[in-house]
Amino acid sequence: MSELTILIKAMLRERRDIAFAIAGGFVAGVGGVGLFSASGYLISQTVFAPPLYTLIVLISIVKLLGLLRAASRYAERLYSHQATFSILSRLRTSFFAKLVPLAPSMLRTRRSGDLLARIVGDVESLQHYFLRVAYPPIVLVMVFLATVLFASAYSIWIAGLLVLGLLGAAFVIPAVILRGQRNIRGRVRLHRAALSTNAAELLYGFLELKVYGKLDERGQQLRRHSDVLADEQQAAGIHLLNGQSLHVGLTYLVTWGVLVLGGYLIVNDSLAGVFLAMLVLAAQTVFEEAGAMATLPSYKQDSEHAASRLAETVQPGEALPPQPEGSLSDDAPPSVELNGVSFQYADEWRPALRDIHIRMAAGSKTAIVGASGSGKTTVLELLLKLYAPAQGQIRMNDKPLNELHESSIWKHAAVVLQQGHFFRGTIRDNLLLDEAGLSEEELQVILGQAELSYKKLDDEVYERGENLSDGEKQRLALARAMAKGGRLWLLDEPTSSLDAITEQRIYRRLFKLAANDTLILVSHRLTGLESMDQIIVMDHGTVVEAGTYEELMDKRGYFYEMKEIERQLIGEAG
Amino acid sequence: MKRNKSLLSEQLSKQRRSMLLLGIISLALGAAIIGQAALMAEAVNRIFVMNAAPSSILALLGSLLAVMLARTLLAHSNGRIGLSMAALAKKTMRGELLRKLAGDSAAATARGGTGGTVSVMLDAVDESDGYFSQYLPRMVEAAIIPLIMLAAVFVWHYPSGLIMLVTAPFIPIFMVLVGLKTKRKSEEKYEELSRFSGTFLDSLQGLVTLKLYGRARRQEEEIKRSSLAFREATMGILRIAFTNTFMMELIVMLSIGLVSLELALQLVVFKTMSFHTAFFVLLLVPEFFSLLKNTGTAFHSGRTSMGAIRKVEQMLGAMDGDWQMAQGDSIQPDRADPGIPVPPVIQLNDVRFHYGQGSFELAVDRLLIEQGQKIAIVGRSGAGKTTLLHLIAGLLPSASGEVLLNGRPLREYKNNSWFDQMSYITQHPYIFSGTLADNIAIDTSRAVTRSDVEQAAAAAGLAELIGGLERGLDTGVGEGGRGLSGGEKQRLALARAFLNRPAIILFDEPTVGLDVRTERVLQESIGSLASGATMITVAHRLYTIKDADRIIYLENGTILGSGSHEELVERLPQYAQLVQLQRKGRAG
Repeated sequence: MSELTILIKAMLRERRDIAFAIAGGFVAGVGGVGLFSASGYLISQTVFAPPLYTLIVLISIVKLLGLLRAASRYAERLYSHQATFSILSRLRTSFFAKLVPLAPSMLRTRRSGDLLARIVGDVESLQHYFLRVAYPPIVLVMVFLATVLFASAYSIWIAGLLVLGLLGAAFVIPAVILRGQRNIRGRVRLHRAALSTNAAELLYGFLELKVYGKLDERGQQLRRHSDVLADEQQAAGIHLLNGQSLHVGLTYLVTWGVLVLGGYLIVNDSLAGVFLAMLVLAAQTVFEEAGAMATLPSYKQDSEHAASRLAETVQPGEALPPQPEGSLSDDAPPSVELNGVSFQYADEWRPALRDIHIRMAAGSKTAIVGASGSGKTTVLELLLKLYAPAQGQIRMNDKPLNELHESSIWKHAAVVLQQGHFFRGTIRDNLLLDEAGLSEEELQVILGQAELSYKKLDDEVYERGENLSDGEKQRLALARAMAKGGRLWLLDEPTSSLDAITEQRIYRRLFKLAANDTLILVSHRLTGLESMDQIIVMDHGTVVEAGTYEELMDKRGYFYEMKEIERQLIGEAG
Repeated sequence: MKRNKSLLSEQLSKQRRSMLLLGIISLALGAAIIGQAALMAEAVNRIFVMNAAPSSILALLGSLLAVMLARTLLAHSNGRIGLSMAALAKKTMRGELLRKLAGDSAAATARGGTGGTVSVMLDAVDESDGYFSQYLPRMVEAAIIPLIMLAAVFVWHYPSGLIMLVTAPFIPIFMVLVGLKTKRKSEEKYEELSRFSGTFLDSLQGLVTLKLYGRARRQEEEIKRSSLAFREATMGILRIAFTNTFMMELIVMLSIGLVSLELALQLVVFKTMSFHTAFFVLLLVPEFFSLLKNTGTAFHSGRTSMGAIRKVEQMLGAMDGDWQMAQGDSIQPDRADPGIPVPPVIQLNDVRFHYGQGSFELAVDRLLIEQGQKIAIVGRSGAGKTTLLHLIAGLLPSASGEVLLNGRPLREYKNNSWFDQMSYITQHPYIFSGTLADNIAIDTSRAVTRSDVEQAAAAAGLAELIGGLERGLDTGVGEGGRGLSGGEKQRLALARAFLNRPAIILFDEPTVGLDVRTERVLQESIGSLASGATMITVAHRLYTIKDADRIIYLENGTILGSGSHEELVERLPQYAQLVQLQRKGRAG
């Protein structure tokens, strides 16, 4: 699993903190065992009425061990958490780098929000792998070995019993828990997903279900799902509890075994009686320190599950081909040509584009129109090399797109996406410019051109631009594209949330700015297209018509009919 | 249902038996812990001090093993009771949420926040688990077992008991201190923390944008920077927590040390106690303190769970008001069910509705819709058109006034007898997970044949789509199935209506232009669907308006006028402006 390799690599980078954490954990564990052994020995010594000073020495040792234990526990906590967060930081950056090339296809599905949240969660649960799975057994085994070594100084038999106990606690019990746990947890996940889907369906389809008289039926069904989920979660809980109880039982059993074995050894004179209480307490403490072993399997499985899910997300079958070296020259607007292009999204059942032929001359202005789902956005995505066409060829400046480096296209393109993202930060941050860019005044002018002059560059923007209206987001996206500039303008319904007057104002400035550039505008409205050099009309993945506004209107074909429909629309439309 | 009690105490009163059982088992568990220590001390005493051979004290060793086993099982039972309490609580909370939701009017969905509701139903309810499965059992144990232990130590050797009594309160005090300090500190840094931790998700969401603007590489640095900043901020908080834990552990160690010092002095200097008693006390003291420490840990996780329960409570509370109205709707349940003649006369008298105090109000003094009339509701966005449609349909309860069907109040009819007569085509028809055939047949309660479904699909212009599919009508659609375009969804909703042959059709016309084909189907087939039926449309298309028998013009929740298109153009300047403006805007 390469995800675990990434994790291990990240762990190796933090080896200093990890070493400190392990050392701290070891000293704390040994200190605890020593502390209780010493007090057992202390109390046994009193039977022989020793001189007071031996007691004082012993008591001081107990105190010292207590202090040592608390202090090293503190160090262990500090360093292990420090290491955990550093590992998380490394994991995040390396996964981000891995996700970058997969960006658009990964985000296409309707539930992309869930997917991203899941990736974030999975990366976080990988960090637990270190804190809960990777390093506790190391500490545990070290403390155990030290205890065994200590016990073997008194009796090899008792040491042997402890080793047996260690095998049980560190291997047998976790193995018993792991068995069956996979199935139970799998079922919990399955039922949880079913409940989530059904609940969403009930809520989103509420009105329809109510009118169809299916609400009660669906509610009952959902309730059954909920009950099954609760039962399965209970089963999973019991499974975990069983493991913990097994561990506690083993602790008592070994303690008892040490007591009985010690008794026989004392009778046979191979052990001094004064050490009995000490060894019993040592055995009990060392097992209590190992309590985390019982919950380890569940963390282990969660992390592994997270790792394999990340692996699925990050590796979409074949490796991506390296980007070719070709680049677009930036001193002239590019010509664009699509020749017999077909394309189908991986998760869709029918092609998004079928045999598309479009020619856009250098510096020309093209509008693409059509109903939603007709393939307009896909054309832009293919031009940006976010996807590769299944068939046909795309050329820019007569160079095939598959010979051009993607970033050379992006460098020359000024893009407004339908769902552009806005980051937490300021307006300036969201213009996404390099440091050595435009001056404050120039930026403010650009905001003004996008009808955003009332916003200041330092105004705050919340996550996903939540404090901006849809119209403001579109204007900010336009400002972003204007500030970047480029010889190829690709605009995907950039003004759908703006009123007609604002739209006209912005378009006037935009077209002036792009006067000598190639511009492709996906438009939801059929107004203001008279000055375009060509209008491409799309329906269900095909180009049904193309021509200037006048040509298309004269033809009285598909575009004319769309125009007629638009004329019919009143109210909030438009 | 009255909600005087909080959700939590309600849940607890349902589980009183389990709580009692927890208490009894905890008593037994306390006894077992003391028994174990006593037997262990006795065994070591016999072997070490009295030189007994293990074979001579078999009964003692046997009972020690038995008590140890009993203690394991008792602790296990407490765990199990907690888990079953959690399962029951989750079931009832979800059940309650669902019951309210199903009984709730459309207002709940109109209020939005569907994602939030799903998250409460899933995540918040699941989070509440810890309260029942961990917090409650630990708290019951903490209330009982330390007291028993303390009593036992007092009986055997009261000076040690005194030390324990004096030092014990420091544990919860420090626990609370840790909690308060870290809470304050994390509140102080909340902004910072959430900003740093959110960067990763924010960057993932904006990946495409970052790529296109050539910023992906730089963002990597940004993620690293903010993750490390997050580490520093969190470590600052954790350091406080760890320091306090350190102090607390020191106190525990100090107390244990004090007790052993006192025991040693008693044993050696004053010779007032036996080895047996001393060892017994020495065994109990650490158990006593670790129990207190565990309680503190459980307390913190309990607080998180309580927050989750509060969220569920809020959601239930928010649905409360609507629920009562919905109850009011069926005050005279099933008393009279005369059945509805096809199609009924619909009448609204003095109907008032608002979504919340002080918000926009819809007020209809009088509205009469005759059998088979075609009504178009027209108005600007936010005028209350869809709300009026929902009120007529009985999907929303009116705050006052009455909706009458054939002269009888709507609420006197059985819900289903009314909805069976009706089809409602929403702006964004919901496609349920299932086959195309299932989805078309969902709106009808009568048995339908395959050819009925095929005919309905053909009438709605879906024949071509279905013909092109390998599995035809049996193709899975919706969640986990094939995606349909907006126009196809609209046609599917139309097919549902064709199959149902309703007496009343409610139609919320799409506000955007669909593909030409769907628009054509809409224009042509709605007419045949509506022949003989009453049809009420929230209209966004001129042809719908011109075809209507009557147009209702709404503004700010009131009907400003009704009549034919020509009448309204002449009489109502607002209406004329709405219709004309759009046309002019597009003419150019």
